[in-house]
Amino acid sequence: MRLLLWWAGRALSSAVTLLGISVLIFAALRLMPGGFAETILGPFATPEQKAELAVRYGLDQSVFAQYGHWMAAVGTGDFGTSMISGQPVAAELWARLPVTAQLTLLAVAAAVLAGVPLGVLTALRARPGGGGVAGRLLSGLGVSVPEFALGSLVVFVVSRYGLQTSGYLLPAAVLSIFAISATARTTRDAVLNVLVEPHVTAAVARGETPWFIVRHHILRNAAGPVLTLTATITAYLLGGALIVEYLFNLPGIGSYVVQAVGRRDYAVVQAGVLLAATVFIVMNVLIDLLVGLVDPRLGRRA
Amino acid sequence: MSALLEVDGLEVDYGTARALDGADLRVAAGEAVGVVGESGSGKSTLGAAIGRLLPRQAVVTAGTVRVAGEPVLDLPPAALRRLRGQRLGFVFQDPIASLDPTMRVGNQLKLVLRAQGREGREGRDGHDSGGGRGGRGGGINADVAFHLGRVKLDDPRVATAYPHQLSGGMAQRVAIALAMAASPELLVADEPTASLDSQVREEVLNVVFSLAREEGTSIVWLSHDLPAVARRCDRVAVMYAGRVVESGPATEVLGNPVHPYTAALARSAPAAATPGVRLEPVPGRPPVLTGPSAGCAFAPRCPFAEDRCTTERPEPVRVGTQDVLCHRAAELEVIA
Repeated sequence: MRLLLWWAGRALSSAVTLLGISVLIFAALRLMPGGFAETILGPFATPEQKAELAVRYGLDQSVFAQYGHWMAAVGTGDFGTSMISGQPVAAELWARLPVTAQLTLLAVAAAVLAGVPLGVLTALRARPGGGGVAGRLLSGLGVSVPEFALGSLVVFVVSRYGLQTSGYLLPAAVLSIFAISATARTTRDAVLNVLVEPHVTAAVARGETPWFIVRHHILRNAAGPVLTLTATITAYLLGGALIVEYLFNLPGIGSYVVQAVGRRDYAVVQAGVLLAATVFIVMNVLIDLLVGLVDPRLGRRA
Repeated sequence: MSALLEVDGLEVDYGTARALDGADLRVAAGEAVGVVGESGSGKSTLGAAIGRLLPRQAVVTAGTVRVAGEPVLDLPPAALRRLRGQRLGFVFQDPIASLDPTMRVGNQLKLVLRAQGREGREGRDGHDSGGGRGGRGGGINADVAFHLGRVKLDDPRVATAYPHQLSGGMAQRVAIALAMAASPELLVADEPTASLDSQVREEVLNVVFSLAREEGTSIVWLSHDLPAVARRCDRVAVMYAGRVVESGPATEVLGNPVHPYTAALARSAPAAATPGVRLEPVPGRPPVLTGPSAGCAFAPRCPFAEDRCTTERPEPVRVGTQDVLCHRAAELEVIA
């Protein structure tokens, strides 16, 4: 019963969040300077041509009516058609999902496989006061260097020296620099927090080896924040790694949405944003469930 | 007789603060020794040093710790782990926090028993070191039930509970079961009952002491409660400002204290009070040392202090049955 209530609450709050996001993105698009008609017809179009186009796409109606139509359609699972290509948006997004999904999978796998061990190692080697400066500097750099800077650099180097690379490797590498750094840092902090807990001292006092203690008493205890971060990164990338996809010219969801923004392809942008938001919300619910499973103290509360 | 535990002249600093200022302690096999002192007297540091469990910022500047002849502070990591796993057991203040919050009690016990099963082969003289598997069939679950039963936790629900679902007293008994699973030679208990209410306190202490007697395990019990310690322990060591100022048979130390600090402590204990007679708190505050004490650290609070007490460090003298760190011990004994 309590579980049912919990789910109902989660579903309701998720719906409210999505509704708010739909309003925001709808309003933001209409508020952008320049409209669909100007983009399509160019600067020399006559007012009559513009008006005709507006009627064809329903843009002559009030903003509220447009929003109402859109919501009603979304309610039936219809995300509209791209005003540029004339194809259903849902199908177009679906077709681009594999690209984004592969990119996400590669980057997240790298983040977990490299970031978690790095974080555990740096935490175990950490000394009070000095030390670990190099590690902190590197992870700080990794977290703070923007994707467009690193991505542009990589694109430049590769094209300048004519290196041959296969599809997803480079963009995934650029994305995983951030993901690895953030994961390593979060893991390190989480492990450091667990290391000072009395139950770890008790394990040391029982003569357990460091590896045994890490495996049995630390990883699970430190998993909460790391899981949360990993899921957040996954959701963020699944919603479209906008800049990186665009830079490397990958036909994923991110570059599709970026393009659509430029062309004022309202239906596509709206659907893309809703998709990203939904992925985020679903991911967050999954995290809560997972963290509750890993740490029974938190599970009780949920 | 060679002692099981020998701590000699141990000095430990935390940054600029001095926690131990030349502490000495002897514990014989099978003996229960209470280490008594106020907060900040260094008893917890002494307890941690026995297993080399000092926090990272602690620096040992002098002294030795020997357990069964092994130099604890100089052992290589593997030998240190073996010593901790086979000869030493520790019980800490906060029972619930000293259990892994993500693991059911039974699984924690299994983990410890399995680890011992592996180490057991190189263990000591066949003394039931194989995770307690000697003669009891029924596999690991039976072993878990056996070890929980030893600490009077017979309810089968305990094994499947998480630590946060237990009461403090139950959690501390689980911690005792974990520490005693390897049948250690020496159990160090750092105020194991500080966070428990008085009814549960007695039960937990009964469990510790009866289990230790059964196994022939020596106990070092760190506490601030002199009368309680004196009731259960064979010997008592009183700590003040990082040194053991008086040690001897429990009844003697409580009944005929020689060191002025021990005497003051005994007078200030509520349990020892005669009804109608006002309790006498020890005047003044314990010092915070930043280096070796020049003389006797208790001198500023001591009604018997004379000039050399502030300038000359007292060396242990034997008075009756007690070892005492006091320049005037012999005279004071006569006064008493």
